[in-house]
Amino acid sequence: MYRLSQYLTDAFSRRFSRAVRENYQQDEAYASTPQGRFWLAVAIVSLLLLPLVLPSYPLFVATQILVAALAGLGLHLLVGGAGQISLGQAAFVGVGAYVSSHLTGDLAPLGILMGGLVAAMIGMVLGISSLRIKGAYLAIGTLAFQFLADYIFRRWTEFTGGVAGRKLPPEDTFLGLPLTDDRVIFYMGLAFAIPLFFYAKRLLSTRAGRGWFAVRDNDLSAQLSGVDLMRSKLTAFALSAFYAGIAGGILIHLIGVVTPENFVLFFSIQYLALVIVGGAGTVLGAVFGAFFIVLIPEVLSVLAAAFGPQYVAQLSAWRSVVFGGLILMFLILEPRGLVGLWGRIRDYFRTWPLPY
Amino acid sequence: MARVLLEASGLYLSFKGVKALVDVNFKVAEGDLFAVIGPNGAGKTSLLNVLSGLYRPQQGQVVFLGEDLAGQTPQQRVRKGLGRTFQNLELFRGMTVLDNVKLGAELATGGYTDLTPQTRIEWKIRRQAEEVLDYLHLAPYRHVPAGALPYGLQKRVEVARALAGRPQLLLLDEPMAGLSLEEKQDLARFLLDARREWNTTLVLVEHDLKAVLELSTGVLVMSYGEVLYHGLPSGVRENQRVAEAYLGRSA
Repeated sequence: MYRLSQYLTDAFSRRFSRAVRENYQQDEAYASTPQGRFWLAVAIVSLLLLPLVLPSYPLFVATQILVAALAGLGLHLLVGGAGQISLGQAAFVGVGAYVSSHLTGDLAPLGILMGGLVAAMIGMVLGISSLRIKGAYLAIGTLAFQFLADYIFRRWTEFTGGVAGRKLPPEDTFLGLPLTDDRVIFYMGLAFAIPLFFYAKRLLSTRAGRGWFAVRDNDLSAQLSGVDLMRSKLTAFALSAFYAGIAGGILIHLIGVVTPENFVLFFSIQYLALVIVGGAGTVLGAVFGAFFIVLIPEVLSVLAAAFGPQYVAQLSAWRSVVFGGLILMFLILEPRGLVGLWGRIRDYFRTWPLPY
Repeated sequence: MARVLLEASGLYLSFKGVKALVDVNFKVAEGDLFAVIGPNGAGKTSLLNVLSGLYRPQQGQVVFLGEDLAGQTPQQRVRKGLGRTFQNLELFRGMTVLDNVKLGAELATGGYTDLTPQTRIEWKIRRQAEEVLDYLHLAPYRHVPAGALPYGLQKRVEVARALAGRPQLLLLDEPMAGLSLEEKQDLARFLLDARREWNTTLVLVEHDLKAVLELSTGVLVMSYGEVLYHGLPSGVRENQRVAEAYLGRSA
């Protein structure tokens, strides 16, 4: 009987509690426990299987989440990491989108990559302004960039197609696969997103991340600890824009047409909301935040349709109200965002049923 | 006489007529525990700021390891082995204790390009950080955000962060201010340990005269930017000018 109880306790703690870490290596690795590795594998495999089970429209939404998560992750590195605020993330998404709209067909992945790189270069230039100004002033500076980019998107017709935008070739294929198929686009997005997510996670827990956090918390002290402020800020801006550019490239393949309306200030603010709701400075926060901002409008439109057609007309107004309310709620009730909420839930079940 | 690490000569610093430093000269030899004391507003912190490069003196020069530091940024000075802690805590409050110390340790292990993480160097940084954490008895708090710790521990984390970079010379701005007696004793012991173990030379700004006189090997007494006394701690109490500055002139 004693043996049995001992076995059960052991099995229970092995399965549900965090395994004891025996050395520094285990302490630093993500998914260091068997359970953690298991869930990571499950997550990746289910992502890979998703297009095979989901019908067309939900897959479209899933790809939207993926795009939002990528662009949001970039902003996470900048806002939650280096503590620099930016209201121009949508403009960088736009840059990535327009650049990659010029390289399609078999060159599509190269185009997406190029979009990211061009966005990164512009981001670095914008980052120079952060060396002189901080906080609200920087926010205004990036806001100016957002408007400037919007103006260029509308007026530089040779490159952007102006207000009408640029359409992708309708019968586009990548190595024989139809690029109009949402499943192909989803896989292409994943091929970019998964490495980029692991990379971001790794960066945040190594030198670059420490430098960014130090700049965020106390830039004077960071300098006196040997952190190169300029380099830290510029890499944060460049990487943030790179992630946004990649997201833009995937986005245009998803919607098939690039118009300036997809990159206006509203979306920049939405990305910022994504960061706050998700929980600034964490990789998981970007995923949660992306689910949140993409799914809320979907849920609302389903609800509106369920209540009756007369509500559908007011949908966009209600969407903004609900959106704003939820963001306020998060700021007041859970400043650490959905990640904080998730951590609390996980801790509750990890110690259940013996919390003390 | 051991090798001279740091030498300041003829330092003048004034802020629009307020004279913060007037002709300050001193030398710190390797292995010293050099204390700078003086009443409020004596210019002690200004002196440290000049040494670490936050202020630029109007005259005079600072020589560290035989090299004139004029025109070098604070970062360059830190990288050369001139560490610094602050009077009012300047920790990275949102980072864990371990990350704070690791950031300091990067100085000693040498950096690498930020965007290509290298596991081997990361482990080196981690080991070095853990060594310092062990030394300062901070290991139980390594995953706690630094801002959540009590004041005494935060002070200790700041010392740990500076020590993790293995500075040759560490400038400490009132490390014991606001600590309880026990915490002061602990910190003093840690500092002496660091000096013995890693051969770190210490320059200490301090108000606690008793601690200074017991610990230090050399003292600089300042008042209104002027040097009143420079020499062994045993001579401080007998010095007439120091007594006047601290206690006032007898009627």
